[in-house]
Amino acid sequence: MSLKLRRRREMRAALLLTGPFVIVFIVFFLYPTLRVVTMSFTNAALIGGGDWIGFDNYAKLLKDKLFYTSLWNNFYFVLLTVIPTTVIALLIALAVNKLRGRVQALVLTLFFLPYVLPVSVVTMIWAWMLDFQFGILQPLIETVTGRPIAVFKDPNWVMPMIAVVTVWWTNGFNVLLFIAGLRNIPPDLYEAAALDGATAWQRFARVTWPLLWPVTALVLTLQLILQLKLFDQVYLLSKGGPFNQSYVVLMQMYREAFQLNNGGYASAIAMVLFITIVIVSVLQFQLLRIGGRK
Amino acid sequence: MTGRFTKFAATVAMIAGLASPAWAKVQVEWWDFLAGGDGVRMKALIQQFNAEHPDIEIKGTTLEWGMPFYTKVRTAVAVGEGPDIMTYHLSRLPLALEEGVLSPITDADLATAGLSKEEFFPASIAAASDEAGQLMALPFDIHAIVLYYNKTALAGSKWLDTDGNLTGLESVEDMTELLTWAKEQGFSDPLSFQTAGGGGTWRTFYTLFTQQGGQLVTDGQVLEGDNLAKATRAIQILADWRAAGLIPEQAEYEASVALFSGKKSILFINGVWEVPTYKDQSTAGTLGFDWSANEVPQLLDQRSTWADSHGFAIPNDPNMSQETRDAVLTIIGWMEKHSLAWGEAGHIPAYKPTVDSAEYQGMEPNATYAVLAETAAFDPRTRIAGVASPVYDAVDNLIAPAVHGFLSPEDAALQMQEQLQSLLD
Repeated sequence: MSLKLRRRREMRAALLLTGPFVIVFIVFFLYPTLRVVTMSFTNAALIGGGDWIGFDNYAKLLKDKLFYTSLWNNFYFVLLTVIPTTVIALLIALAVNKLRGRVQALVLTLFFLPYVLPVSVVTMIWAWMLDFQFGILQPLIETVTGRPIAVFKDPNWVMPMIAVVTVWWTNGFNVLLFIAGLRNIPPDLYEAAALDGATAWQRFARVTWPLLWPVTALVLTLQLILQLKLFDQVYLLSKGGPFNQSYVVLMQMYREAFQLNNGGYASAIAMVLFITIVIVSVLQFQLLRIGGRK
Repeated sequence: MTGRFTKFAATVAMIAGLASPAWAKVQVEWWDFLAGGDGVRMKALIQQFNAEHPDIEIKGTTLEWGMPFYTKVRTAVAVGEGPDIMTYHLSRLPLALEEGVLSPITDADLATAGLSKEEFFPASIAAASDEAGQLMALPFDIHAIVLYYNKTALAGSKWLDTDGNLTGLESVEDMTELLTWAKEQGFSDPLSFQTAGGGGTWRTFYTLFTQQGGQLVTDGQVLEGDNLAKATRAIQILADWRAAGLIPEQAEYEASVALFSGKKSILFINGVWEVPTYKDQSTAGTLGFDWSANEVPQLLDQRSTWADSHGFAIPNDPNMSQETRDAVLTIIGWMEKHSLAWGEAGHIPAYKPTVDSAEYQGMEPNATYAVLAETAAFDPRTRIAGVASPVYDAVDNLIAPAVHGFLSPEDAALQMQEQLQSLLD
């Protein structure tokens, strides 16, 4: 068989296999994305076209105080979730890794279970548990602060509590990634280290941590992207209040699009968030790679 | 999908000259947001209509009140998948006009429905029309907040007159005195209302605000002139009551209802739509006390009560067949003429013949509080106000936190002014 023919056959197989995805990607992702880009330069309402207004939406956005509040809240939330959830997931993974067989599977399932739940169920559970009048967690809060607190109505509590809910909800997936990473570390390395008299801490610091770094970097990056896209929990738990203390960029985008009928402006917000996420996550990943090489 | 198919089939049949009344059972897609005690009454009305009209079938769907409902309406109507008829808050009409979701109601439509504009309260017709006076919806009721009170607990006190109505409440101080007294009597949260934000907080705030003659928007300016001070004062009154423990802390809607039925509150500010809830509980003997409801008393400079209207609207769908439209108008006409049942749901019918009827006049406490319609303060006519509007967001975001002491009333009013103004500019 000539090389050319084989090439062509391989090409055909490749097209056949990637085709369905590429089509779905183009129709449901690429095309809408391009539409959002063009829409962000128009004064379109939510539905239907609009007139080309150049960079007016972006200029308006740069002067929008609420946008800066939202952006700040986004980064505050990232601070509250990304590193904590990674550390917690690593600790849980290390502990679960010590278990064996069915017990390990059971414990892993328990930690993974919240991740399976839809966000509406998660927020409902927590809204009930933290309900001001009847919440089961209020006595606990009372023992710490001396009085019950309507956490999603309190400017100081709202973001940290949404962070707690989010970590509880999404942590299982990170645990899973870490477990996979831990299982990839060859056991002989630990045996050799043990023979050389390494302590448990040394084994973690010199073997586990460096070899696990690619997974850690992945988890950190995935979390960063995910948490910058925060919307559901805020919408369902606090609606951005009180006085915008939990208002985030996607919340603003939603209100502009669906409540105020400003499709063009909402698209501009979406674009700025998109670019922000790209820049921040690329930066972070490069930083982490440098950190990993050391 | 079946609805569309039926419509399509009906159209084809009509073109082909095959349509006969016996054959064409028109299916009408109906959306509402009535999930409370009044929703039960509405479902009964729909059932009765379906039973009386073999040629028309209403297929009702109840969606979640507020933002979810209006977001769905706007997106569904835009892509031609909306309902054939829906309930709509007339306070939201300016937003609806901007969104272009409503189909105008013509004089011919009114004739089909067997109604005329003169049969409705003028204020509600005005609220249902656009700037040019074109009718965009048909008002169904006027609903307002009222002051529910525990008659048993107030018996023998100076705040109850011989007819069993509230008396002696002529200033904020009078109200505070009553509430303080009730607190001493063991009512932990003497005046209940939805304090955590949302509709309840807005309606109470707006009542106190308009009782000072306050206007939210004047000539495109939010809280202009002394309106800012009036808004501040309204928030201050609520914040003072909260600080003294006279109104509940962070009560959500359901909790506010439970506080009154659970005898933790002696007074309760809420919409007339909870009247059937308490009527039913009284009839069943589960409430454990006598209650009634009056117009919210004048505590400040003038009589005023927040009010809104439910109306029927036809979504803007160029593909709607005349047959479906006629069926929808038949439904609207029938509903208006049977609005006595809606009066039982607490609302004041917008259709005057119903209110003038002897049956309605004999209905209590409805007939007593119906006088509030004279001084009802509707939401300002602007696209930033109305159910699920930016004003409602400002209430959650600023007024409710200020009532709970997280923000000073001055700052709350100022920020509200600033945020809402930026949406109008």
